[in-house]
Formats: sequence, structure tokens, C-alpha cells
Amino acid sequence: MAQILLRNVTRAGNVALLAKSNATSPLTAIVAGAANQCQLHTTPACCEIRKLSRLRVVDNSDLGKRAMAEGRPPRCIHVYNKRGVGLIGDKVLVAIKGQMKKGILVGLKQKQRLKQPQFDSNNLVLIDDNGSPLGTRIHVPIPTVLRTILKEKTLAKGADYTKVLAIASRYV
Amino acid sequence: MLRTVICDLARLRLSGSTSPAAVLVTQVREKGHLSRPRLRNPYWFIRKERTQTDDLVTGENRSFIKEVVHDTYGKPALIKGIQTYEQKQLIKTPVAPTDIEPWTPAVRRCGLIARKIGQYPLWLKNGERVRTTLLQVVDNHVVKYIPPGEYTPAQRPRVKHLDRYGCVLVGAESTNPALLTKEYCGIFRDSGVMPTKNLARFIVSPQAALAPGTPLNVGHFRVGEFVDVRGKTVDHGFQGVVKRHGFKGMPASHGVTKTHRRPGNIGGGGEKGRVWPGTKMPGHMGNRWRIIKGLRIWRINTKYNVMWVQGSAVPGSTNGLVYIYDTVLPLRKPKEAPPFPTLYETEDDAPEDIWYDQVHNFKDETITYKPE
Amino acid sequence: MNVNARILTHRVVQQCTLKRIVTFSTKPTQQAAAVAVPQQQEAPGPSVRKPIVPAHYRFVYPEFLPDPKVEWRNSVREKLERLDMLDRRRQIELPEFYVGSILAVTSSDPHAAGKTSRFVGICIHRERCGLRARFILRNVIDHQGIEVVYELYDPTIQKVEVLRLEKRLDDSLFYLRDALPEYSTFDEHMEAETLEEGTPVPVNDIKVVLRPRPWLERWERQNLLGVANIDQYLKDKHRKSAAKVQKPWEKYDLMKQYRSTIPEEEQKEIFAEVHTELHTLELQRKRNKRKRTFVKPKQLA
Repeated sequence: MAQILLRNVTRAGNVALLAKSNATSPLTAIVAGAANQCQLHTTPACCEIRKLSRLRVVDNSDLGKRAMAEGRPPRCIHVYNKRGVGLIGDKVLVAIKGQMKKGILVGLKQKQRLKQPQFDSNNLVLIDDNGSPLGTRIHVPIPTVLRTILKEKTLAKGADYTKVLAIASRYV
Repeated sequence: MLRTVICDLARLRLSGSTSPAAVLVTQVREKGHLSRPRLRNPYWFIRKERTQTDDLVTGENRSFIKEVVHDTYGKPALIKGIQTYEQKQLIKTPVAPTDIEPWTPAVRRCGLIARKIGQYPLWLKNGERVRTTLLQVVDNHVVKYIPPGEYTPAQRPRVKHLDRYGCVLVGAESTNPALLTKEYCGIFRDSGVMPTKNLARFIVSPQAALAPGTPLNVGHFRVGEFVDVRGKTVDHGFQGVVKRHGFKGMPASHGVTKTHRRPGNIGGGGEKGRVWPGTKMPGHMGNRWRIIKGLRIWRINTKYNVMWVQGSAVPGSTNGLVYIYDTVLPLRKPKEAPPFPTLYETEDDAPEDIWYDQVHNFKDETITYKPE
Repeated sequence: MNVNARILTHRVVQQCTLKRIVTFSTKPTQQAAAVAVPQQQEAPGPSVRKPIVPAHYRFVYPEFLPDPKVEWRNSVREKLERLDMLDRRRQIELPEFYVGSILAVTSSDPHAAGKTSRFVGICIHRERCGLRARFILRNVIDHQGIEVVYELYDPTIQKVEVLRLEKRLDDSLFYLRDALPEYSTFDEHMEAETLEEGTPVPVNDIKVVLRPRPWLERWERQNLLGVANIDQYLKDKHRKSAAKVQKPWEKYDLMKQYRSTIPEEEQKEIFAEVHTELHTLELQRKRNKRKRTFVKPKQLA
């Protein structure tokens, strides 16, 4: 369970958390160094997608962008499969900025099968109930297996998940 | 016993009236429960290794013994990757008997003795990876055939209508007879087979009987068929409940003391306040005979007598002995006739490597997918 | 005279044992030096026949050496496995590469649009032997770290190109996951850099800069050479606990070394079996390459 234990819950601490969650920003080293000094403790990141695991929104939807910029990444509050552990292409329900939204997992930190990419973060694309994505572009690569998985998950009468594939910028 | 007592009493009563000589009493002995026939092992369960004494045999005599062994059984040779002797007296390619009844699905064929020599992956033609175990058939020869009437084992195997089946005794891995006991070598005397390290019996239909001395090769099975493999699992010794039954154990900390890998509760109280039979508890793990059923043969190498079977869960350790049978699973039984009663090999018609048609041959080109 | 001879033999034995330790060490960086000067090592003793198999083969083709665990070994299985590996190597070129080299792997992918996918990245780990040999490639694409595991003998792999042949200071580079992303970012359209023939494989002594904690592993316990700023993030408690788990005596544990390596005699046997085949394949590839380079200007002109 990804729990955050903050000693002195301050605004600075929150900023530091943001810096940790997307380490790609150039500010990382500086801000994270500050975090090191202010005694921020976190449990090791959980490699599975379960309830309450933090995810990273990788599309350019307004909601997702704001949530990530504020340093309040969405948390998974339900996984729509029978095992309760999200695998690639699974639909999840997330709590994001006080709302409940659905999303599709498009990249996982967990160990993957041979020849399938393993990502450094748990990536999510927000969708609505019909399966159409909230954003218009995914700014990280997504695995090619999603093509097959999402096609299989799309049923004739249900939501059409293949629209997510259309907004992908690059496949790996 | 009771009857003799009654007889005695009757005699006593009679003796009062008439003379004792007039009454003729026959004593009857009955079988008690203690005088059942003992469960005996089959006659080929004899001590195998001779006690190696430092007997004062001169070098000359030793070489003479060696010569005699080589004269009777042939020189040491490497046949199909196995250290053995070129058994001269055996007819290598016995002519298939002419009066073979045709194969039917109900017939039980002979099995093989093999060694598990390791495991590595193969790939199917659709790019899928399958894990396979390699089983090497080690120098098998039929030692004896016991027809149905004579085969009456004291410890009955669980086979329906056992009286209809005979038994084939198969030996594997021939060895120097000077290392074995006289009694053990006697089993092989009439067969003409060199004494072997391993023996196994296979229950067969009388149609599938084999003549002593017939070599059994991997060609006994076909690629794509399913087999059952029996072996003795790896001995783990006395193990706790976490390793033996996969219990979760208890937390390492959070106030837990002295209860990290223990089973916890083993039963309730109340009316049935006892431990139920079959409760999973610590105990000896492994070293048991297990059969894994329905493994597909993906590939066969006739040069080294090796077959690749599905999966990596074949019981036993690497280099351990296993027994291979035709599968008993009804849906995986062979539809077409396998080599019956076995493959009587001709020298050069068999290809070296036989691949199942779904398996990718490493000599073939790289697997590609056609774009739609 | 007799005493002299005894001393001589003793010295020779000592030298041999010393040499053995050097050749048996598993650190590739040290081996790089040893590989670079193979002739000098073999020079003493004019009566000793030169081995036919080049000494560097065990680093170029490490997967031909079986798992040293005795319980798992079987000569027939190993032989069959080697034959299959050679069969596969006849189909595609599996070049020499090391942990730290930059590779491009093209593989058939049933999910991809063009049914092939190409991935460029740095090899951060190489493990297992025989047909199970596998390696992990890592790259950062669009600021997103990505890792892919490939099996070397997978028949769906169409091509393995070495874009830059080099080694790093460590045996595995898992610490790149906790390093700044620029250390594992490689251009996808990178061109292959060619090394001149006969030059030893260069060792890249770059030191990467780690991100602050939390880390995925306790890097301070692993005696990493390729990390620059690990001390910056360590406190006394980390140093103490790292010192506690160190096992400095293990480098003197000959039995452990023996159990975890294939003896040199066996290595020679194994490579003697596959050497000619591998050598002809190498020559063939070289010839083909030369042909290719010869053809190119024609097309341009």
C-alpha cells in the first residue's frame, strides 16, 4: 500500500512529493535535495496497481494535467477485473481532484512478459464511460500489445476502447 | 479351534456312556487371521550390488575377468550418448514378428525407462515459447515377458482386470556384471541381455508382448503424442508448513513473537474437538512417486534417444530416473496406431531430429508475421 | 640439483595458481585488461602448445558455458543445447556485446502495425545460459524510462545490431533506474559506431549521478564503481549497515569460486566443440560486410 508518511506536513513537503512523482523535470535534483533535508519518508513504491496506488496521467486532458501539476496524482480506487490487481490494458476507477474518473492503464512498473516494455512509472489515460479519452494526445510511448488487448476488450455494444489507440503518439 | 473344543467336549460326554475307542475324532485345523500369505516382493527385487571386498585377485585374473565379460557381451561402447557395451549376442534389429494383432485403443503397450537430463525452451511456429523437459531413454532392453496366467503379484497394482494383463520386465543401463550379485545376474541369464543397473516392470496386454532382448528406443513414442511420466520427487526432508503446503506464515514484526512460519490453528473445539484427518501439517516433503499426466512430445532426437516433453514439472531431479507410459487420459489417448508392439528399428531410415509440425525448427528462418 | 628442480616446480605451480585466479575472476573490467594482452600471458613456456580456441571466446559467447551448478548439469543436454544454438546462429547474426553496450533489437511483433518493432537501448543486464540467455535493454523515450527483456535465441528476433560496443565499470547497470534520466537516454536513430578490428573493447568509465532517495535498491551495499555521488545521500546508519553486510573474505573463498565457475579445462572442451563453427560464421559475416561496404559506393555513383 502506498502510504505517505509526512513528518511536518507542509506545503514544501507536497512540492517535494510532486518532484518525486515525475522525476523528469529539470528541477528534480534541487527540489528533491530539499526534500531529503526536510525528512520526507515514503514507503517503497508498490509495483502492483491495487486500490490506493498512485498513478501518473500521461494524456493532455485538462483535469489530468492540473492534477499532476498540483502534485496530487490520481489514486486507483477500483480495478475492473476479478483479481483486483491491474494489468496492462485494464480499466480502473481513479480519484482525481475530488472526482471519480475512469482510466486505462497504458504502462506498468511491474515485471512484464518477454519483449513487452516495462515502464518506470504507472501510466494512465483518462477515459469517459463510452471509452473515449478525455485528452487528445498521449505524450509517452505506449506498448503495442495494447492494440490487441483493447481490441479484445471492446465489445459490439459496450464502450469502444480503441479510441485510446488513436491518440497515441508513439508505440514501443 | 472352536470346533476342536466342541469335539473334545462331545467326546467327554460320550465317553461316559460308550467306550472311547468307538468314537473317531478328526482334528481340523483352520486358518487363523495370522496365517495369511505374506506380501512378498517380486522375485527381481534382489540385492543388486555385491559387497566390494578387497579380495586378492591378481591383475592377470582381473584382466581375464574383463576379457570374459567383453567376450560374452562385447566391448564397452558409447551407444546413443550412453556408456554401455556393444551387446553382441542381442539381435540388434530383430525382425518384427509376423503374427502381430492390430493395435486397438484398449491395448496397453510397454513403457520406457528414461533419465531426466534437463530442460530448455522451444518455440512454436506462432512465436510462442514453451518450456520443455528432456528425457533420455537409456539403453532399454526387454529382459522378460511374463504371460497373464503366471503374473500374479502378491502386492496387486491398482489395475482393473489384472488377470488379463501380462508383465514386461525392462532393464536400463547395462553395467559390469562383476559389480553385481550372482542372484541379480541370474535374472538376466535366459534373456541374453547384459545385467543392467535398473529394472522396471510394465503391465501390458498379451498382444503387446515383447521378446526378451528387444531393444526399446525413443521411437516407441511418436512426436505429438501424449505421455505420462512417473518419477520420484526431489527429497526435501522434514519441512515446515510454509515450504510444504505454501502457507503464508505470519508477519515478521508488528508485535508477532515466535510465530513467523508456524501453521497457526489446526482445528476447532466444541463437539468435534479434534484435529481432522488430512490437516496440512509439517512433515516429510518429497521423495514420493508421482505421475504427471498428459505431456505432449514436442520433439524427438533419435541419435541420442532424447524426447522433449511439455513442461518443467516432471518429477525428480536432473539425472534422475523416470518411467514413461502412454497416457491414460481418455481425450489425449492416441487416435492412430503408435508403433506396435514397439518400433523395430531399421538402421538408417529414421531422421535424426523429428519436430512436431507446430514447433519452430532452429534451422528454419526467423519467425515473421504477415501484415493483414 | 634435485632441490633446485623442486623449487622450480614449486614456483611454476605458484605462477599457475596465480594466473588461474586472474583468469577466473568474474569481473569483466579486469578481464578486459587480461583479454587485451592474451599473447603476453601465453608466452612463457615455449613447449606449451597454443590453445586453438581464442581466450576471449568465453567473454564473447558466455552463454555457451552451462550453469555451473553441478546438480543441473548433463553432458548430453548441454551438447544438444549447443547444437540448437549453433543452428540459430546460422540463421541470424548474434554479435558480441557486453553490459553497457548499446543495442538495437528488431523483432517480429504480431501487435505492431508493420509487424516488426525496433528498440534501441543500453544493455543493463545479461543473464542465464544456453537457449535461455537473455538481456535487458533500457532507454528513455519521451522522458519515459522503458525496459525490455529479450531472449537472445528467440526465433522472433530478426536482427541484433550493436550500435556502440563498450563495457562499463560494473557487472549490471540496474542503478541506471535510479540515476538521472540523461544517463540512459539514447537516440533511436543512432548510427552504429565501428571499432577497428583487433582493438580491445573499450571500457567506458563514466560515473552516473543518482537521484536522491528513495531508491529501488540499497546501492551503497553493492560496491558500485560507476556511481559518482552516492556518498552525498548516505547517512552514518546507511554506511554502518552497508559495512555490516560486506563479505570481504569472499574473494579468497576458492571453493565458492570453484562452484560458481566452469573450470578452464571444461571451457576449453566446450569451445573446442563449437569453435570451428563459430569461427566460420564469423568469417562469413565479415566477408558479407566487406561486400556490403564495397557495393555501397556503386549505388551512390
